[in-house]
Amino acid sequence: MSTLMEKPAAARSAWPAWFQAEQRAALAEYEALPAPARKDESWRFANIKALDLSAFAEATPVASETRLIQASAGLAETSAKLVLGNNALLLREAPALPKGVIFETLEAAASNHADLFKKYFMAQPVELGSRKFAALHKARTSGGAFLYIPANTSVTLPIEIFQWVEGANASVFPHTLIICGENSSATVVDYFKSADRLPALACGVNDLHLARGARLTYIAVQDWSHETTAFHLNSTIVERDATCTALIANFGGGFVRGENLSRLVGEGARSEMFSINPVEGTREIDQRTLQDHVAPHATSDLLYLNALDGKSRTIFAGLIKVEPGAKGTDAYQKVKNLILSDDADPNSMPGLEILNDEVRCSHGATNGPVSAEELFYMAARGIPKDKARRLVVNGFFNSLLARLENAPLRTHLESLVAARLSIA
Amino acid sequence: MSLKIENLTANIGDRQILKGLNLEIPKGQVHAIMGKNGSGKSTLAKVMAGHPDYEVTGGSVTLDGLDLFSMGEPDERSRAGLFVAFQYPMEIPGVTIANFIRAALQARLPEGEELDAVEYYEELYKKMDALKIDRKFTSRAVNEGFSGGEKKRCEILQMAMLNPVYAVLDETDSGLDIDALKIVSDGVNAMRSPERGFLVITHYQRLLDYIVPDVVHVMVDGRIVMSGDKTLAHKLEAEGYDWVEKETLATA
Amino acid sequence: METKPDINIDRSIGDFHYDVDYEFDAGTGLTEKTIDYICDVKKDPDWIREFRKDALRKFNSMPMPTHWASPDLENIVFDNIRYYLSQGTQPKRSWDDVPEDVKRTFERLGIPEQERKFLAGVEAQFDSEAAYSNIKAAVGEQGVIFVGSTEGLQKHPEIFKKWFGKVIPTGDNKFSALNSAVFSGGSFIYIPPGVKVKHPLQAYFRINAENFGQFERTLIIADEGSEVMYMEGCTAPKFETSTLHSAVVELVALKGAKIQYITVQNWSSNVFNLVTKRGLAHEEAEIKWIDCNIGSRLTMKYPGVVMKGRKARGEVISIALAGDGQHQDTGAKMIHAADETTSNIVSKSISIGNGRATYRGLVQVGRHLKGCKNNTECDALLINTDSRTDTYPAITVRGKENACQHEASVSKISAEQIFYMQQRGIPEGAAMSLAVNGFVNDLVQQFPMEYSVELKRLIDLEMEGSVG
Repeated sequence: MSTLMEKPAAARSAWPAWFQAEQRAALAEYEALPAPARKDESWRFANIKALDLSAFAEATPVASETRLIQASAGLAETSAKLVLGNNALLLREAPALPKGVIFETLEAAASNHADLFKKYFMAQPVELGSRKFAALHKARTSGGAFLYIPANTSVTLPIEIFQWVEGANASVFPHTLIICGENSSATVVDYFKSADRLPALACGVNDLHLARGARLTYIAVQDWSHETTAFHLNSTIVERDATCTALIANFGGGFVRGENLSRLVGEGARSEMFSINPVEGTREIDQRTLQDHVAPHATSDLLYLNALDGKSRTIFAGLIKVEPGAKGTDAYQKVKNLILSDDADPNSMPGLEILNDEVRCSHGATNGPVSAEELFYMAARGIPKDKARRLVVNGFFNSLLARLENAPLRTHLESLVAARLSIA
Repeated sequence: MSLKIENLTANIGDRQILKGLNLEIPKGQVHAIMGKNGSGKSTLAKVMAGHPDYEVTGGSVTLDGLDLFSMGEPDERSRAGLFVAFQYPMEIPGVTIANFIRAALQARLPEGEELDAVEYYEELYKKMDALKIDRKFTSRAVNEGFSGGEKKRCEILQMAMLNPVYAVLDETDSGLDIDALKIVSDGVNAMRSPERGFLVITHYQRLLDYIVPDVVHVMVDGRIVMSGDKTLAHKLEAEGYDWVEKETLATA
Repeated sequence: METKPDINIDRSIGDFHYDVDYEFDAGTGLTEKTIDYICDVKKDPDWIREFRKDALRKFNSMPMPTHWASPDLENIVFDNIRYYLSQGTQPKRSWDDVPEDVKRTFERLGIPEQERKFLAGVEAQFDSEAAYSNIKAAVGEQGVIFVGSTEGLQKHPEIFKKWFGKVIPTGDNKFSALNSAVFSGGSFIYIPPGVKVKHPLQAYFRINAENFGQFERTLIIADEGSEVMYMEGCTAPKFETSTLHSAVVELVALKGAKIQYITVQNWSSNVFNLVTKRGLAHEEAEIKWIDCNIGSRLTMKYPGVVMKGRKARGEVISIALAGDGQHQDTGAKMIHAADETTSNIVSKSISIGNGRATYRGLVQVGRHLKGCKNNTECDALLINTDSRTDTYPAITVRGKENACQHEASVSKISAEQIFYMQQRGIPEGAAMSLAVNGFVNDLVQQFPMEYSVELKRLIDLEMEGSVG
C-alpha cells in the first residue's frame, strides 16, 4: 500500500506536464508547512489530533463502478451529470446543456481549456487556516469537476456531480471549479459519498467564480461515511450584481473541517452562505467562514444551523470583514445550536471586523435546547419522544431550506434531510 | 415682515422638484398649502430647513428679510426662528425629550450662559399638560417607540418650547385620530400671534377646520398655481385637484 | 437632578504632574534584584518573595500574546520601565500627614472633597504605594477592613493568604505574571458576614512619574451575605514615553454576597493598560463589573466572573470609547461552573477618528450543568469613516438545559438624526455628542450619579473635533 507521501504512478496522471510540475511544488509546500497548532487563532478549539493523516493511502480504482453509477441518483430532472469515484471519471452525461457550456473533468479542462484553468484553479489564497491541506489537495487532486458557463447563458435544470470514495483508508481529493460568465445562471448539486462504511480521507476544494450579474446556486451534500476525515475548502468570488447562494449540508464525516470564504468584489454583489449540520455520536464539524466585503453596497447573509446530539462537537468561527472602502455593506451572520444532549460540545465564535462606518452589520449566536413545550405538545398527540425530537430537528433545518427559491430542489433537499434524520 | 419665498427651485439628485415657487406669509397669518402626493410639499419644508439631500438651484427664502440660504447649516436656520414639524419625526435612541429640548434651548443662549433648570422644567411641564402629554414622557427617548399621534404631539411640544417666528407644519394631521387632531390643533392655535407666521402643509381639508387658515395655496408640480381663502380648501376636498390642473393649464 | 460633577476625571484635568522626591526607587529594568529590592523595602514575608520570583520566571518564559492580541504590545520596552517608586510604604490616615508634593496632586484631582461628600473610604495610590488610606469610623467599627495590599498582607495574613492568587493564578497570562512579580499598592478589602456597606469605597490610582509601571494588586473578599461597592478612578499625565499599568484584581463573593466593582479608566494616551480582573462568585452571590474605558493607548481588559456556586450571578457592563490613536480591546469572561448560574454581558463601544474598539468575549458553560443562562449584547457605534470595530466572542455552552444568546450590531449615527436635531437649533457637534450619549445612556444609568454626570461630560469632550 502506498502512502500519501509517495508519488503517484506517473502513468496514471492525465494532467499536463506543467501542472504535474506545480503538483510537485505543492507537495513540497505541504511537507514544509507546519502542522496546525491549537494556539493558532484559526485552529482555536480544534481537535488537532484528528489531523494526523498517516493512516491514509492513495486510493486504487473503484471496484464497484456499476453500483456507484446506479447509486448516483439525485434530482428527477437534471441537465448534466458527472460521476467520479476514487479520483477518476466514471460517468459523464450532458443531455441538456446549452451551447458553449463546458462540463468535464478538471484534467480534461487543464488540457482543453488551459487558459480558463490557469486563471481560476485555486486562484484564491487559503486564508482560514488550511493552507497545508490545500497544498496537499493540489498535489494529489485528479478527476474533479470543471464547469464553465458562458456569458448570458442560463442552465435551467440543475447540474449534478457525484464524487465517491471507496475502500479502507482511501484518499480522495475532490475538486469542483465553477466559473459563471456575465449574466449567466446555473444550479449545481455536488454530492460527496462513501461507497462503504470505512475510514477514508477526503481533502476537497471548491472554487466558485461569479462574473458580473451571474446567479449561482451551489448545494454541497456531504455524505461521507461517519469514519471519514474530511476537509472542504471553499472560496467564492462574487462580482458586481452577481448573486451566489451556497448551502452545505454536512450529513456525514467523522471529522470535518470546512472553510468557506466569500469575497464580494463588486457593488451590488450578494452572497448567501447556509449550512445545516446534524451531528451525533462523536462526530465533529469544524467550520470557519469569512464574509469579506471589499466592494461597497454588497450584501452577505450567513446562517449556520447545528443540531448536536451524543458527544458530538461543532465549532463555528465566522468573521464578517468590512474593508475600508466597503461603504453601504449589509452583512448578517448567525449560528444557531440546537442542543439535544448534555455531552454535546458546541463552540461558537461569531466575529466582526468593521473598518467602515457606513454599514449595517449584525451577528448572533444562540444555544438552546429543544423546547419542552414542543415536546410535550407532540407527546400529547401520541408521538414518541425520540421521534418528536427528530421532528423538531427536521423543522429546524427545514426553516433554512425554505429560503431556497427552486421548489424541486428544495423538496429534494427536504427529503434528503428527512432521510438523514430517519423520518419516514 | 414676512416669510418670503421667491422663485425657488430645488433638486434631489438630477430630478427637479421645486420649479419656481413663490409664496409670502406675512407675520401673524396662517397659510396652508394643499396638493397631491408628489407635488413637492414636503420637499419645500425640507429645503427650507436645509436638508442635505436637496440642492437649491435658484431663488431665495427670507425670514423677515434675512436670507435663509446664506445661513448654511440647519441649526443656524432653526435658531434664526424657523421651525419644521416633520411628517416623519426621527427617533433619537437614548436621548430623552427633556435633555433634547434642553439642548436645543441651551444652543440659543449666548456662550457661557446656562439654562435655568427649574424654570425650564416648569415651562416644559406646563406645555406638556396643555398638549395632554404624560409628564413621564420627559424621560423617554425622543420619538422612540412612540405612536404616530405621540410623535406629532412631541413635535408640537418642541415648537411650543422653542418659540419659532415661522413654523412649517408638514402633514401634521397624518396618522392622527380626531381627538389627537383636536389636541394638536389647540396647541397650534394657542401659539397663533401677530408675532408668528405658520405654513400648514396638508393633504386633507380636515385639519383646516381646526387650524383655520388666512390663505390657502394649491401646489402642483413644484409651483403654487392658485391661492384663495379657506373656501378653496372645501372646494378641493369636494371636487379633487383635476379642475385646478385643467384651469392652470388653460391659463398657462 | 442637580448634582454637580464631583469627580474630576477629565483628561485635561489629569494632565499635569509635579516633581516629587522618591525615597525608594528600584531603577529601570526587571531582574531578580529588582524583586529583592521591592521585597526589602516592603518587608515582604519569605513566601511572597518566593511567589514574586516564581512569577518573574513565568513572566520571562511566556510569549507576548500577539498571535491574537495587538502587535502594539511589542512596543513595550520592559527594560526601560521603572518598577517601583515610592516615598515610603505606610499610607497616611489623615490628608494633613500626606507629604505636600503628593497631596497637592490629589487635591487638584478633588479626591479629599469627594471623600467628605459621599464615600465610605478612600485609598489614594501615588505611583507604587498608597499615600493615603482611610475609612469612615462607622464603617471601620462594623469590622470592614479597607487597607492597601501591603498592609493587608502584613496585618491580616490569615485572610490574605487564603485568597491571594487563588482567583487569578500567576500564570493566567503574561501580564498577570508580571503583576505577581512586582505588585505594589492596590486595595485589600474584607467585608464581614452580613455587613452592607452603604456608601462606596473608592480607590484612586495616580501615575506621576515618567517611564513608570504601576502594578497594583487588589483583593476584595465579601463574606457571606455582605454587600460592597468599590469604585476606582485612574489618571496619569501625558508623557512622550510610554507608561505601563498592569493590575490584577481578584474578587471573592462568598455565599449570598454582592460586589459591584466600578472602574472609570481615563489614562492618558501614552499608557498601556493591561489589566486582569476576575471574580469568584459562590452560591447565590453576585459580582457585577461596571467598566468604563475612555483613555489609554491600548487597553486590554476582560473582567470575568467564575460562578462556582449554585444560582451565582455574573454581570459585566462595559462602555469603551476609542478616540483617535486609541485601541480599546475589552470584553468579558463568564465561566459557569454550577447549576442555575446566570450571566449577562452588555458592551457598548464607540470608535472615533481612527480609534479601534474590540470586544472579546468568552462564555463557558460546563457539561452536566442545568439551568444556566447567558445573555450577551454588543453594540458598536462608528463615528468616522476610518473608525474601526471588531467583535470576537467565543461561546461554549454545553448541556441541553442551558441557554445562551449573543447578539451584536454595528451602526453609525444617521444623517437624518443629525439633521433632525439640527433643525431644532442644536449644532452638528452637539448633536453628535447628544446621540453618542443617547447610545450609552442605558448603561450610564447604572453608574452612581456622581460618575454618570462626569461620564457624559467626558464623552462630550471626546466628541469635540470629531465632526467637520
